[in-house]
Amino acid sequence: MKRLLLAFALWLPAIAMAGSLQPLTAAEVPALLQPPARGERIIALWALDCAYCEPNLEALAALQRAHPHEIELLTVTTDSIEQREAIEARLRSMQMAGYPARAYAEASPEQINFLLDPDWGGETPRVLVIRADGSRLGISGALTPEQLQKLR
Amino acid sequence: MRRLLITLLCLLSPALFAHEGMSMNMPKGPELGASAAFDSHGRLYLVDAANGHVRLRHSDDDGRTLSAPVDVNAIAEPIYAEGENRPKIAFGPHDELYVSWSQPRAKPWTGFVRFARSLDRREHFSKPLTVHHDHAEITHRFDALAVDGNGRIVIAWIDKRDVIATTAQGKPYLGAAVYYSWSDDGGASFVPERKLVDQSCECCRIALARLPDGGIAAFFRNIYGDNIRDHAYTVLRTDGQTSQVERATFSDWQIAGCPHHGPGLAIGSDGTRHAVWYEAKGKPTIWYGQLDPGHAPQHPLAIATTGASHADVAVHERTVWVVWNQVGANGYTLMLRRSTDNGAHFDAPREIASNSGAVASPQLLQKQGHAFVAWNTATGFRLIETPR
Repeated sequence: MKRLLLAFALWLPAIAMAGSLQPLTAAEVPALLQPPARGERIIALWALDCAYCEPNLEALAALQRAHPHEIELLTVTTDSIEQREAIEARLRSMQMAGYPARAYAEASPEQINFLLDPDWGGETPRVLVIRADGSRLGISGALTPEQLQKLR
Repeated sequence: MRRLLITLLCLLSPALFAHEGMSMNMPKGPELGASAAFDSHGRLYLVDAANGHVRLRHSDDDGRTLSAPVDVNAIAEPIYAEGENRPKIAFGPHDELYVSWSQPRAKPWTGFVRFARSLDRREHFSKPLTVHHDHAEITHRFDALAVDGNGRIVIAWIDKRDVIATTAQGKPYLGAAVYYSWSDDGGASFVPERKLVDQSCECCRIALARLPDGGIAAFFRNIYGDNIRDHAYTVLRTDGQTSQVERATFSDWQIAGCPHHGPGLAIGSDGTRHAVWYEAKGKPTIWYGQLDPGHAPQHPLAIATTGASHADVAVHERTVWVVWNQVGANGYTLMLRRSTDNGAHFDAPREIASNSGAVASPQLLQKQGHAFVAWNTATGFRLIETPR
């Protein structure tokens, strides 16, 4: 029984990781935009149909690893959570599965775009930085090294 | 110990079932990418995609009721039917019905451009053919369809053969390319495709419009310098001559990314090239302007900003209509601005329809000099006549 319990305990995190993609509804956007207690929350917006998004996510992950206590990184895909399998597979192939991940869960994606950032027209990649002091920064397109430096 | 295991199982089970429950709560239904057109008798035709079929419906009462659908492709296949990448419909000079669409392939971003026709007013459709002669499993998608003044069917699309070949040699290549082909035999076959331009944007629809002389013009998002994503204009030559592609917008929006936001084009009988396009160098903005290829557009006007997207434009004599989707916290409104002096001035924006759920890009259609907007929404297809 002890061995069974141990096997079960080891299996639990694997389940948690595999199902880590969570839906993002319009009603949940305000909570996501709340300033973090410290440092920055970086919301990395991406899409399955965006070839520029992968290198951008890699660069943001590298930045987060360099500042693990200051930066809270999460990924949000503008694709519908109905495409869960494809999204999770892509997150794994991009080695981004270790970060909290959300996918749009509204029939009208542009509405979530607007609520996240009214000055964003939906182009991807998009990064949204929310700082502890309440200030925000939004940048569209693959980030240049100079832009990456400005994120924090 | 056994109790601990049971407790753990109880804790786990809601997490396991949560996914299923969530997907059950998600709205289901066909994607909203659709296109509509009037035939010469004023009958409205609509194409969209459902269950692997491009389906055709028609309406004899301006969209209030739609006929039962007819499958364009008898054998189901994957079909792109999202905003910028939707099935297309066009009519030949004798109401021949032409349909094109992009078919996703197995790998991400890949696709084939497909075409089928009906010569007996939708009774039967030809077996779909792949328009391009290159059958590599790469991007050939975002098809655009038009019929020229001689009845020639012209199709343009975004193609990645050159970026793949160039980067394989270790050389840089931004974006994709635009290719086009045409059919001289009413859609029985298409000539081998030719390249229009290198280094175009990868994910924005191509606008096609007929010129007064019957030729087909193209207006599309292109890449200039280091990812400046402005627009190019050209006439698609089908006489063996080379199409002259010229830069036609100068917004200087630099983005290494996917705008998913192509332009619109309508050409008046006087040859004025009325255009709408989107850029977000500062605030996201929909622009109107009259193209003067090689130079900045004439009569530029910021039609709408924050929350505005996916505009279309139409012209009849000296009346110009611009429509777009405006998103807000509570849903979408379909907006209109109209000019009665050939685009020199536009009236104030007005709301002509609204929808709380998802909507597709609006498409302007004309019948007997009046403008209608085809607006596919999650609650059904709507045809909205613009106020006279």
